Amino acid sequence: MVKTVKALGIRAPNAGILVGNILRNLEVPGEEVRFIVSPGAEAGMDAVARKSGYSVEVTPLGKDLEIRMTPSGKTLEEIDVTGETCPGPVILVGERLSSLAAGERLKVKSTSPDTLADITAAITAAGSLVLGQGTEGDRHFITIEKAEKKEKTGEPGVPVNRDRVLVVQSNGTGNAERAYATFIFAKVAVSMGKKVTVFLLMDGVSIARKGSAAGVKHPAFARLDLLMDEMVKAGVTIYACENSAAFRGITEKDLAPGVKLAGAATYIQLLSDPSYAVVNF
Amino acid sequence: MTYEEIGKELIELLGLKGSPVAVKLARTPADVPAGYEKVTKKERHCQFVQDARLKGLTGYVTRAEHLCKGGAAVMGIEPSPDLVADGTTYQKLGNFKTVEGAVETVHAIPKLDETYFASVYAPLDKAAFEPDVVVFVVTPRQALRLSQAYLHVSGGRIASDYSGIQSLCADAVVAVKQRGVPNMTLGCNGSRKYSGIAEDEVILGFPPKDLGAMVEALRTFKQKWG
Repeated sequence: MVKTVKALGIRAPNAGILVGNILRNLEVPGEEVRFIVSPGAEAGMDAVARKSGYSVEVTPLGKDLEIRMTPSGKTLEEIDVTGETCPGPVILVGERLSSLAAGERLKVKSTSPDTLADITAAITAAGSLVLGQGTEGDRHFITIEKAEKKEKTGEPGVPVNRDRVLVVQSNGTGNAERAYATFIFAKVAVSMGKKVTVFLLMDGVSIARKGSAAGVKHPAFARLDLLMDEMVKAGVTIYACENSAAFRGITEKDLAPGVKLAGAATYIQLLSDPSYAVVNF
Repeated sequence: MTYEEIGKELIELLGLKGSPVAVKLARTPADVPAGYEKVTKKERHCQFVQDARLKGLTGYVTRAEHLCKGGAAVMGIEPSPDLVADGTTYQKLGNFKTVEGAVETVHAIPKLDETYFASVYAPLDKAAFEPDVVVFVVTPRQALRLSQAYLHVSGGRIASDYSGIQSLCADAVVAVKQRGVPNMTLGCNGSRKYSGIAEDEVILGFPPKDLGAMVEALRTFKQKWG
C-alpha cells in the first residue's frame, strides 16, 4: 500500500522539512508516500527526496499538488504498447496491472491516443485511476494508479456492479471471425478483471466438440483451441447448450477440455442476472 | 519503558505542570480501552485535554459530549458543520478578512477522512492504552527541551504548522497522528478562552513511539545542563 499524507497550506522550505521528517520516521521504512500539498510546497522537494533515498514526481491534483515519493530503485513501471493492435494493448496493460499492488502506478505509452483512450476505458471500469496524461516526443502517455474496485452495496435503488460478462456464441466454427471474437473478447474482459462466461448454443456448440477448434486458424491469431484453452486456464466458464449439443449428436464425452453442458435454465439465469453484460457472436 | 514510567519521568525531568496527555481516537465502541467510562459532561476537546492534564481525567467522549463541533469534525467524530467547512464561521468571527481566506485555511487544516466513535483521554502515566498522540501543554522553555530531545538522536529540524484555529484538535492530534512526526501549535481563541491554557504556555503533539528516546535525551541534558 502507498501511504497518503495531507500537508496542505505549508510552503517551501517548511514543507520540505516536514516531508523529510515524515520520510525519516515512517512506521514502514522505505514505504512509498503520496503527499497532498499546496502549490508552493514543491520547491526543493527533489533535494529532500535525494537525501531520503527517494525519487520524486509532482503532479497537479485539482487545486493542490500530489508529490509522490518513491524509494530509489523502485522506479515507476512503464510499458509501451505502440504497434500493438486491439485487443493487445488492453490485455498487456491488464496483465501488468495485475502484478501491481493497490496504489502502485504504471506509465503506459503509445503513439496512438485512441489506444490510450481504449485502455483508459478498460482500466477505469476495473476500478483503477488515470492520474495524468501527456506527451513525450512522439509518444502519448497516461499514468495509471492501480486501485481495488469498490463494491456497490446492493441497496434498493443502487445499481449493482456489472462486473461479469456473458459471451454468447451461436455461429460456431463455420464463421471463424465470430469464433475468434468470442474468445478474444473473453480475454479482454478477463484482463479488465471481469468474471467471464461463454455460452455456446445453436451452431456455436460446434466449437465445443473435441478437436473442432483446432481446425480454426487465422494467420494473425493463435489457433482457436489454444485460445480456448488459455481462457479455461484463466478461469473462464464455457458452457455448451445441452439441447443444441444433442441436436448435433454431441455428448459429454465429445466435449473439449473445460467445456461443460448446461441447460436452458442456466442460460436464462445468466441472462437474467443484472451483474452480467451480454455480448453476442 | 512503560508509558507510566515515561509519563512520570517526563514530569520530573521537565518540571511539568500536570501530565502529558495520552489521546486515542477509537474507531468503534470496541476500540475504547477496557474499563474506560464515558465522560458525561459536555466540553470541548481542548478542555478534555486540560482536564486529563491537570485533574487526571480518564475516559472517553463521543460526538454527543463534544461541544466544539469543528474540533470533533477534524478528528472524524462527526461531520463538519457547513458553516465551518465553507469558511463562513471563521470569517464572521473575524479571523479572516475574506471568505476566500477562510476557505483557504479550512481546506488546509489537518482532518481525518475516517470516521471515529470517540476520543479517549488519560494522563500518560495512567494510560492503559496505546495512544495515537501524546499532547503536551508546556512553557516555551519546556517546549525547547522537548524539541531538543526529539532531535537528539538523529538531528535535523522540526517543522510546525498551525493557523490559529482548531489547534489542540487539528494541529496537536490530527496532524501528528497522520504524519507520524511532532507538531507545535499556539492554541486558538477557543482553547485559550475555555480550557485555561495559560498566556505562557504552548502546545505540542508527539508520536508515542518517540517518547522513550526523548526521555533518555532529557536525562542527558539534565546531566550536562542541569
